[in-house]
Amino acid sequence: MSFEISIGPQHPIHVEPLMLRLSVEGELIVDVDVDVSYIHRGIEKALEARPYIQGLYLVERICGICNAAHSLCYCLNVEQLLGKEAPPRAKYLRIVVEELSRIHSHLLWLGHYFHTLGFETLFMYFWRDRERIMDMLELITGNRVTTSYNTIGGVRRDLTPEAEQRLRRTLDYIEERMRYYEKVIDSEPTILARTQGVGILKPSDAVRLGVVGPHLRASGVKHDVRLDDPYSGHDEIPFNVITWDTCDCYARVKVRIREVYESVNIIRYALDHMPSGDYRLKIPPFFKAPPGESLSRVEAPRGELVHYSISDGGDRPYRYKVRTPTLANLLSVVEMLRSRDGYEVYIADVPAILGGIDPCICCSARVMVTDEARRRRTIMTLEDVIKISRERGAKRR
Amino acid sequence: MSDEEDILRKITEKFGEGVLEARVLGRRRISILVPPDAYKNVVKYVAQDLGLEFLSCLSGVDYGDSLEVVAHLGFSTQILIKTRVPKDNPVIDSITDILPAANLYEREAHDLLGIIFRGHPNLGRVFLPEDWPKGIYPLRKDYAPEHPKPLRGGEVG
Repeated sequence: MSFEISIGPQHPIHVEPLMLRLSVEGELIVDVDVDVSYIHRGIEKALEARPYIQGLYLVERICGICNAAHSLCYCLNVEQLLGKEAPPRAKYLRIVVEELSRIHSHLLWLGHYFHTLGFETLFMYFWRDRERIMDMLELITGNRVTTSYNTIGGVRRDLTPEAEQRLRRTLDYIEERMRYYEKVIDSEPTILARTQGVGILKPSDAVRLGVVGPHLRASGVKHDVRLDDPYSGHDEIPFNVITWDTCDCYARVKVRIREVYESVNIIRYALDHMPSGDYRLKIPPFFKAPPGESLSRVEAPRGELVHYSISDGGDRPYRYKVRTPTLANLLSVVEMLRSRDGYEVYIADVPAILGGIDPCICCSARVMVTDEARRRRTIMTLEDVIKISRERGAKRR
Repeated sequence: MSDEEDILRKITEKFGEGVLEARVLGRRRISILVPPDAYKNVVKYVAQDLGLEFLSCLSGVDYGDSLEVVAHLGFSTQILIKTRVPKDNPVIDSITDILPAANLYEREAHDLLGIIFRGHPNLGRVFLPEDWPKGIYPLRKDYAPEHPKPLRGGEVG
């Protein structure tokens, strides 16, 4: 006998609207539905109606946290259509801001993750340190959250020597703090008990389900767009791709912590080897792109981000497709939450597992995953509900 | 010979006349256009024999009288496998049995562009609200965003 428990669409596990329908036998989860169909904004359609320069400001708003990745991906895409390339200095400045936003996103995730596990102190620590990164983003880009730093043909502002000095000091601070947190996490039995062996995703399943980003690397698969498909001078910068082979929630924590160290080193390298010269190309704000298509990929903090555009020679995209990391990672939630032979998932594990993919519902938006094996759930349209209620009402009368 | 050309050569040798158009778009970017009946076999060949088993995206494009499906495969080099189906009968084989990752992407293309994926395990509504009028596909060019239908509260259908 199984019961159904609904979690969401509004729930403290996650601040964005997300609905989990769990079928449970006792404490054991036997089946899962994930429904994220609550916020569709039609941004792809809206991009078709805007000149390229206006689209830049719209794509940043797909996701507030990954805004630097979205605008970078958009700029790379349009530059590719135009057959232009940002100057070397712009590429390095883009990397600095991209990695800063990765650090901020990972710190935000780590804080939020321990908050869902009930470790409030660590949440406060991580978010306090994240503020330092936000200050740096404000110092460099002029904006705290939606940075608007990347622009078609380069970046909007140059890096001043004073800002560079402050940035270096902040990086030292963050690195030291992260080493301390890693020690705390590794020596805290509660965290280990709640994450180790929880939410297993095997490497073969991860690739099969198209999982991306830190979530994929935590399953031991060495894929990083920065390495496999370098897009902004990443081939010149030495860095390690962090993987972890325990494939559980603990691996997801470890990968993200280690990635912060890597990001710190990448920024230091970029600052040390910052090329001189222009930081942007002169491109008029309104232009027509030659007909063609272009595909750009960026390693956003949450994973691989894909932008694919088609131009018909006009001043706006004919079609603009965005594939966000959370959409790629959602299928794996169902896989991880369902108990199967020798692998048991309890209701108490739900926050740890769902939190583990770093879900961003507003950017992936609007998906309904149903269990294909059982096919129990039917989704009724409003028309069906009205029809049924009228029929039943008529019978009663 | 570059990697891109090498992959292109393998595909054109394997499918010969079946490949309508094949070109290198740029570094690590390949585009091939195939007829709808060959689409699934080409995806299978690229995923299983060439080892590019990672599906990173699946897009749909409205080209007026036809709809295009674009499957993006590969970790490093990305192959765009494209096929076009007529708008009045937009049916194409689903590739979910080869690449389960296609599940959500195909549902997205179905929801927003009205492409029907034959053999998909659960081709339901994904992105749009459940009371969105039937037969209206917002990413098709004939849908004008200036005059959106009311989403909630209004008369439906």
